[in-house]
Amino acid sequence: MKGDKVTLRDLLRIKEFGAIVGVTIFLVLFSLLSNKFLTTENVFNTLTMAAELGIISIGVAMLIISGEFDLSVGSVFAVAPMIFATMINAKYDPYLSLIVSLMVCAGIGLVNGTVTLKTGIPSFITTLGMMMFWRGILLAITGGFPIILSRRVDMLQYLGGKVHGGLRYSAIWFVVLAFVFWIVLEKTRFGNWVFATGGNLGAARALGIATTRVKLVNFIFSSVLAGFAGLTTFARFKLVDPTFGQELELEAIASAVMGGTLLTGGYGSVVGACVGAFMISMVRNGLVLAGAPAYWYRAFIGVILIVAAVINARIRKRVAG
Amino acid sequence: MNQPLVEMKNIKKSFGRVMALKGVDFSVGHAEVVGLLGDNGAGKSTLIKVLVGYHQPDDGEIYFEGKRVKFGSPREAREHGIETVYQDLALVNLMPLWRNFFLGREIVRRLGPVRYLDRKTMRRIAREALAEIGISVRSVDDTVAFLSGGERQAVAIARAIHFGAKLLILDEPTAALSVGETRRVLEHILEAKKRGISVVFISHNIYHVYEVADRLVILEHGEKIGDYKREEVTPQHVMDLIAAAAGVK
Repeated sequence: MKGDKVTLRDLLRIKEFGAIVGVTIFLVLFSLLSNKFLTTENVFNTLTMAAELGIISIGVAMLIISGEFDLSVGSVFAVAPMIFATMINAKYDPYLSLIVSLMVCAGIGLVNGTVTLKTGIPSFITTLGMMMFWRGILLAITGGFPIILSRRVDMLQYLGGKVHGGLRYSAIWFVVLAFVFWIVLEKTRFGNWVFATGGNLGAARALGIATTRVKLVNFIFSSVLAGFAGLTTFARFKLVDPTFGQELELEAIASAVMGGTLLTGGYGSVVGACVGAFMISMVRNGLVLAGAPAYWYRAFIGVILIVAAVINARIRKRVAG
Repeated sequence: MNQPLVEMKNIKKSFGRVMALKGVDFSVGHAEVVGLLGDNGAGKSTLIKVLVGYHQPDDGEIYFEGKRVKFGSPREAREHGIETVYQDLALVNLMPLWRNFFLGREIVRRLGPVRYLDRKTMRRIAREALAEIGISVRSVDDTVAFLSGGERQAVAIARAIHFGAKLLILDEPTAALSVGETRRVLEHILEAKKRGISVVFISHNIYHVYEVADRLVILEHGEKIGDYKREEVTPQHVMDLIAAAAGVK
């Protein structure tokens, strides 16, 4: 039985613990380096910047926990707004355009999942192929030129428009989606099956869990969330070019890992991935405010990723074996 | 009512040109512990997989509680009360004990349209069910990775008992266990029997089986070469039988 005293072990059992400590450290560090860092305005800014990556990393984390990868999210991130913008420019209804672009994303997720699960090839390969395929299609169709929104669409305000100062709707979506998927992963049957499917596929199957369906649903979540993130970003720029979202797939994996998700599946957290995305956004923003050249940011993230992975692995060994 | 709990008649199963089961009869009585013995490749696991619906037999009939059954999947067998505990496929190491205990049978509560896990109840029931068959764990929040091999078997057995299994199939439950742990697992088997549950105990180790089994069934090359009440044979006799069938003089 557990006593009332909170032990270190109880703290470490919080899967996001490492990431939260990391964010706290950077928060203190950057506040010391720049007095503009810890202002409401800047926190809103950081959250908004984190939102686009964060929404993707929610789906990516869910999928990794169930034991699969999705490298196509960066391309899907561009496909959704590309379809949306093209349809709007062709005078289609904005809501219809939104639904169609998200349905296409769901379709891409379904294909990713079906090909992977039916043929047994690693999802790493399937989604790498899909990433190249869609990026190629985007380049071929646009000829490399951006598509610019040709008319005003009020709906976009609610996807990525300003709420107050630097705070945009994308940040609100980010928080809402993080909450929803936190519930799904931690508090529902489906979430329990996600952990089991990634943790021990054979055992999950032997216990009668429909592991194929669990994975398939996560492939679809991953694609739809990536497409939605692309739309919120598009709502901010009103423009989409065919290189939109390149390398975001790797940043999304980095966010998930920083947030305590195990790359081999079976362990991880949606909230952690969001904290990871927030950390990346914070470091980018903090370095700029501290006056460091913007180029340093990537190098910095690389180091943080490795350190975070090592620390998370240690913690996990201790509390989860 | 003297019919056995499970009766398999003339079961045949081939994989390509290999005949894994060449017409095997196998039965398990009520509250009976049956040891299923045989060398590697003798057909032990194939027989069990046919029984639980993992494989469909090419020929033969299966009766459960007197009724003819054809299980399409292990899940169906499980719904009828046939619970299989595979060595490495019983539990998910990275998940807490309580989540493992209820995996696939989670207790949920409703909040409007949302059904969410009733963690409190699941934790309590898992703790009680484990204590009831004499397993004490530090915390049901601990992951399975921290349990020893014997404790893992015990958890899987406790789970099967709790969910009302009528037949418990244990695949090599004592492999790679220490002497003390083996003893405890054997006690859990007897505990299950005391509750009226029948057990099929698959093993290489005749001594482990002999301690708890009421009956011993020996397979070799897809055929049943022996079916003895415990009193009729000695472990040495069984060993000689297996060795002879395998061609060792």
